[in-house]
Amino acid sequence: MTTFQDIIHLLTGTPLFFVAIGGLTWGILGGALPGISASITMALVLPFTYTMDPAQAIALLACVYIGAEYGGSIPAILIRTPGTNSSAATVIDGYEMNRQGRAGEALGISLMSGVVGSLFGLAMLILLTEPLSWLALAFTPPSYFGLGILGLSVIASMSGGSLIKGLASATIGLMIATVGTDPISGVTRFTFDIPDLLGGIEPVLVMVGLFALTELMSQSGSTTVLQLNETIRIKLPSWSMMKRLKRSQTIGCILGLFEGLTPGGGGSIAAFMSYNEAKRWSKTPETFGKGSEEGVAAPEAANNTVASTALIPLLSFGIPSSNSTAVLLGGLLMHGLIPGPRLFEQSAQVIDSIYVGSFIAIVAQIGVGMIILPACIWLVNRPRAYRAGFIFALILSGIFTLNNSLFDLGIALALGLVGYLMRIAGFPVLPMILGVVLGHMVESSYRRSLVLSGGDHIIFLQDPIAVFLLSIALIFVVFSLTREFRDARKTKIEEAHS
Amino acid sequence: MNLMKSIGMAALGIATAAILSGASAMADPLPYPNKVVTLVTHSSPGGGSDVFLREMTKHLGKYIGATFIVENAQGGSGAKAMARVATAPADGSVFYATTPTYIYTSLMSKPQNTYKDLDPLVNIFADSEVIYTRTDGPFKSLKDVIEHAKKERGRWGAANPASLERQAAEQLKRAAGVTPAIVTHEGGGDMMLNVLNGTLDIGIGEIQELRSQLDAGTITLLATFNPERIVEKPDVPTVKESGFDVSLVKFRGLAGPKGIPETTTAIWDEAIKKLLEDPDYKKAYTAEVLVPQFIPHKDYPAFIDNFGSTTEAFLKSTGAIK
Repeated sequence: MTTFQDIIHLLTGTPLFFVAIGGLTWGILGGALPGISASITMALVLPFTYTMDPAQAIALLACVYIGAEYGGSIPAILIRTPGTNSSAATVIDGYEMNRQGRAGEALGISLMSGVVGSLFGLAMLILLTEPLSWLALAFTPPSYFGLGILGLSVIASMSGGSLIKGLASATIGLMIATVGTDPISGVTRFTFDIPDLLGGIEPVLVMVGLFALTELMSQSGSTTVLQLNETIRIKLPSWSMMKRLKRSQTIGCILGLFEGLTPGGGGSIAAFMSYNEAKRWSKTPETFGKGSEEGVAAPEAANNTVASTALIPLLSFGIPSSNSTAVLLGGLLMHGLIPGPRLFEQSAQVIDSIYVGSFIAIVAQIGVGMIILPACIWLVNRPRAYRAGFIFALILSGIFTLNNSLFDLGIALALGLVGYLMRIAGFPVLPMILGVVLGHMVESSYRRSLVLSGGDHIIFLQDPIAVFLLSIALIFVVFSLTREFRDARKTKIEEAHS
Repeated sequence: MNLMKSIGMAALGIATAAILSGASAMADPLPYPNKVVTLVTHSSPGGGSDVFLREMTKHLGKYIGATFIVENAQGGSGAKAMARVATAPADGSVFYATTPTYIYTSLMSKPQNTYKDLDPLVNIFADSEVIYTRTDGPFKSLKDVIEHAKKERGRWGAANPASLERQAAEQLKRAAGVTPAIVTHEGGGDMMLNVLNGTLDIGIGEIQELRSQLDAGTITLLATFNPERIVEKPDVPTVKESGFDVSLVKFRGLAGPKGIPETTTAIWDEAIKKLLEDPDYKKAYTAEVLVPQFIPHKDYPAFIDNFGSTTEAFLKSTGAIK
């Protein structure tokens, strides 16, 4: 652990303070815009963090994540449209409270439950991540291969229904990862004598293209108009109300912890599960669906817990368990920080900044959340064309500042188009991003291992960590496959009966 | 982070030194035909060459009567920067900060403008390339490593696949007549870990990347590929002294468009020679373990050509280019 002095310095040093508040504010705004999920909000600022100090850049992204998880509940409560996927469960009772004229109260409960969840999540992050870092030195090339494969095995549970489409998408990602200079021999591959491709296609371009540009393209095809009531103000819950909500918040925190630790979920599953559990354990389950405060508190505590606990597998093993942490992974790689045990040894300051930055953001969330609500409502009420145009400009200028390169812009736009076509055809984009992000690591550590062993694959079975990680990956894959087949059979039987 | 910190420290040191020494160190700068000189680098702000240039321009004004601007032309591992400089006017107003990267990029990706389209101006520094091992490991000298490689399969690490370090490893392998596996990495950090956990016998890399582990005493230097011993590490023998005829100069210099007037190159010859003696600058570059390696304009093109053809032969022998 770091010394007390370091932490005081980080807390009081102005830049990290501004970074945390700035990230939080942007996160709430982004999260409040329907269709702009937490991961897109993060992907949007990613290019701008390029020239920042790595520690601040990563802290900024973590704070955006925290902000976006709260921001998503604003349109969920006010217009029955979740701003992010993980606030979908909040719609049920949040919108009901709004209809009863208790919108401000619902927003206040969402905000405070978010703070409770975030604080719990941060405590877990600090407690659980550090002990895992002793593994740092034990990681050999075969172990890194196992880690990469474990990361890829998540694809099976992230494919959103169609495993074939998920695998196809991942394969395209892996193909993109092979562009550039061969990691072992130095031969150039698929560069077509274009010098800009020598370094490969950067994951950040893929993420911005597939997440943000694709979303904007498909949004411009939709015609629904949203209108928020501009007079609503947040009403924070009273102490006795917080006491009443303790049970549902605890359920949200615990489920958020587990969901954050296991890959594939993200906040949305945790939010729905905790809504169900809060109802099951509630003293007044009959109020659920009719504007229950607990029905807002549980999912909001859960999705905010996930925003912190999802960083545990990311930082300690380099495994992104959600879209948002996949973006964060991209941010780490962009700054030359390899997530995994080594991060704690070599870049302790980055870890400290994440902890301290998150803490500042969580505490500031109460104030910022109240002040920023009118701005969020105003932003959501802007005509779609202006809003989309503004975000487009933001994204493109962000990409350009990465390398001052028009070529990069072309790549990102092309990938945006690819993502749009994939979405129309029902292909999930996340496996593709994972393929790009992890492909390089899988390939280079695989080949490096074989150079070490003189071409003998037995090296992967001689390394205990590699064996362990590969077994978990196998379990993941088998588990997802059986679930896939079971679901498919169930659908078939249901079809036969109907 | 360490790099950023040391840059910050270096900058602070220079600032204080500049204030303390005041005007006493000021010599009359040589008159120069251009008011503004742009120094182009392929590295991003904060990267190796960028730091080198920004540091140097702080002191260069004392010796050349011009204002210096650093321009980052990133992308294409130097291809873009080479194109930028090759097409600039040859009046001494634009130069490119060269490193072996520009030779490798020229040979491997065959961009429109290669190192052959640029006129090498002067060389200024050499980075120190070293062979290191873990302190608690079985190897106490380079000889031990070679002996081990003769008995069983050695495992040597090089920081990057198409790099001077890899070339050094291949040359040492040939000179010693052994056949270890040469494991390439993506950067020195990766390799360091594999040396520390015993996956690799030795690593070959730049001394700058090893500083924190050297301070902590977890790694030991076995030899340096520099032609001479490193001043700060007088106990570390050169590879040549250890009995293997391999030496490398990881150069840092300047190159311009073809046809720079001789009067201009003469100014640089004189100014760089003086600059390397500047006490403030000396303090800064010694802290970065840069070895002054002044090569005047009349000898530099031959040096670069020789480096280029050696590299080409090496890349062909490993199959990286045809």
